[in-house]
Amino acid sequence: METQATLHSIQKAVWDGRLPLQIRLTPSESRRYDKTDPYLISYPRISYLPSLLPRLRAFFASSLIDPDSQAHDGWFSFEGVPLKWHLPVGLLYDLYAGADPASKGASETDDTGWDIDNLDSPLPWRLVVHFSDWPDQELVRLDSNGMVMNDAFINSVKEADFLRNGTAKGIMSLSKEDSSGLWESVQELDLPSFQRISNILLPPLHQPFRNIPIRIFLPLPPDSGSPSLKVVQSPIPPSIPLSSVAASQSTLSRSSITPQTQTIGTALHSLLPNLFPSRRTPVLAKPVLHGAAVPMSAPVEEVVRSSAYGDGWLYVVIRMMG
Amino acid sequence: MASSSLSSSRSLSTFPFLTQEEFEYACHMFLNRINMLDNLGGEGGWSSIRLVQQTTGLFLKISRSIRTTSAHHHDSIPFGSVDIDEGQMEIYEDDPEALIRPSDSSNCLQIEHDIVLSPTYQVPVLYFTLRRGSHPRPLGIDEVYQYLVPDQYTKELQDVGVMGGITFGYHPQSGTPAFFVHPCNTADAMRQIASQKRVTPEEYLVIWLGMVGNRLSLNLPHELFATERVQKPEGLG
Repeated sequence: METQATLHSIQKAVWDGRLPLQIRLTPSESRRYDKTDPYLISYPRISYLPSLLPRLRAFFASSLIDPDSQAHDGWFSFEGVPLKWHLPVGLLYDLYAGADPASKGASETDDTGWDIDNLDSPLPWRLVVHFSDWPDQELVRLDSNGMVMNDAFINSVKEADFLRNGTAKGIMSLSKEDSSGLWESVQELDLPSFQRISNILLPPLHQPFRNIPIRIFLPLPPDSGSPSLKVVQSPIPPSIPLSSVAASQSTLSRSSITPQTQTIGTALHSLLPNLFPSRRTPVLAKPVLHGAAVPMSAPVEEVVRSSAYGDGWLYVVIRMMG
Repeated sequence: MASSSLSSSRSLSTFPFLTQEEFEYACHMFLNRINMLDNLGGEGGWSSIRLVQQTTGLFLKISRSIRTTSAHHHDSIPFGSVDIDEGQMEIYEDDPEALIRPSDSSNCLQIEHDIVLSPTYQVPVLYFTLRRGSHPRPLGIDEVYQYLVPDQYTKELQDVGVMGGITFGYHPQSGTPAFFVHPCNTADAMRQIASQKRVTPEEYLVIWLGMVGNRLSLNLPHELFATERVQKPEGLG
C-alpha cells in the first residue's frame, strides 16, 4: 500500500483537473437564434454541470425568449444527447467526447493544442444548455433549492460506503453538518474539508475495503440514437480470494499464502473477459479514468483511495482500441 | 420438482442478501408459478409479467393498470393482510368486467414495476413508473401517494420506514428516470422477518415482494397461495 502522502498527491492532481467548456444556449430558445455568444469556462472535472446553471441563466438572460424560465429548469446536451447531471462532468467528457486519453509517454501537444475555432477539436467541449422542454424520459428534474442534487449525491455516497464496509452505518453516523459539508466541499472544490470528512467514512489504510465501489461504463455504439448507458457493476474485493483448489493444495502452508492483490486488470478481466482477455495488457480496449489511461497493474484499492470521484466511486470508462 | 414448490431444497448462500444467480433463479421460479395460474391476479390489475434480459443483467417486469375513479386503492385488498374475504375474491374472479381494460384511458393508470437486483446492496429493488393512460410523461410523487400508497404506509414511507423511503432516480438497466423504494434497509427487514427458517430464493422473492408490494398496492395474486402450503408472511402489514 502506498503511503498516505502519495495517495494525497494523486488525489490533489485529480481535484485540480479541469476541462475547458464552451456552452451555447440552444438556438430555439434564443432571441438571437444561433448568434448568441457562448459561455466559456475552465471547469473542474469532478464537478457537476447543474452547479453552472445560476451563472448560465444570468449570462443568457437577455437572450432568452422565455423570461420566466428558472435556473433549475436548465439541462445540458452534447450532440443532441441529454447529459445525466448526476455524473461528474469529467466522466461525461470521457464517455461522450471521443477524445483519446492521455497516457504515459504520449506527446503533450494534444493537451495544449485545442482550438476554439476548430469544431473538430475535442476541446473546448461544446455543450448546449436548454431552459425549457425538459426531457422527462431521460433526466430526473431538478428543484429550486438543490435538494434533488444533494440527495442524489448522498445516495451515491451511501452506496459507496455500503460497498466499502458491508453496512450503511458509516454515512448514517456522520453528523448532519458533516454530511451536508461533504457535498459542499465537492461543490466548492474544498479538498481539505473533503479529506477531513471522508476520513471519517473511509476505513484506515491498514484495514482493507470489503468491496471496491467501482462502476464500468461500456463504450457506446457509434451513431446509436439511444443515450442509455451500459454500466457494469459487481462486487469486487480488493484481494482476489484464493480458489478452493489452491486453498486445499496449500493446507500445510496456508498462513504463508498471501491473497493476490486485485488490480484494474484482474477486475476488468473478471467482469468483462471478452473485452479484457489479458489481466496485464490492454488488447482490445483500455480503461480510462479522469481523462487518462489507467495502468492495468494498478491495485484497485489504491486507485479508489486516491482517484475516486467526490461520491467515493471509481467510474471507469472503457474505450475501444484501434 | 423444484419448479412446482416454493419449498424447494435450495437455500440462500448469503442471506439476507441475494446473489445474482439466486435472484435470476427466483425470478424464473416465480414466473413459472404465476404462469400456472388461470388468471393473472384479476383483483390486483396485473396485465403482464415477464423477464427482461439485457446485456447488463436480468429483471422481472410486472405491468398493471388501475382505475382511478371507481376502483380507488382503498378498495383493494392488501396481500398479507389478515382479513382476506374469500367471498369478495370470488366476486372479482367471476366478474369478467374485472379483467377488461377500461376503455377510457384518462381514468386508467398504467404502472410498470421492474424488479432489479441491486449490485450494491445485493437485494431486490422495486423500480416503478406511473402514467395516466397513454400519456408519455410520468406522474410525480404526489400521485404515487394519492393512488398507490395505502394510507397506513404513507407516514412510514415519508419518514423513511422499514423498507426505506420512495426515491426518484435512474433505473439501473434502462437509464430512464423511475421511482424506487430505497433498498438500504431491505436486508435488515428480511433478516427480521425470515431469520427463523431457511428460505429458498423464490420464498425470499415472494416475501420481499409481499412486503414492498403492500406499500404500493401491488398485491400478489392470492391464488398463488391457494394450493400451496406456503406460509403467508403474516404481520408484514
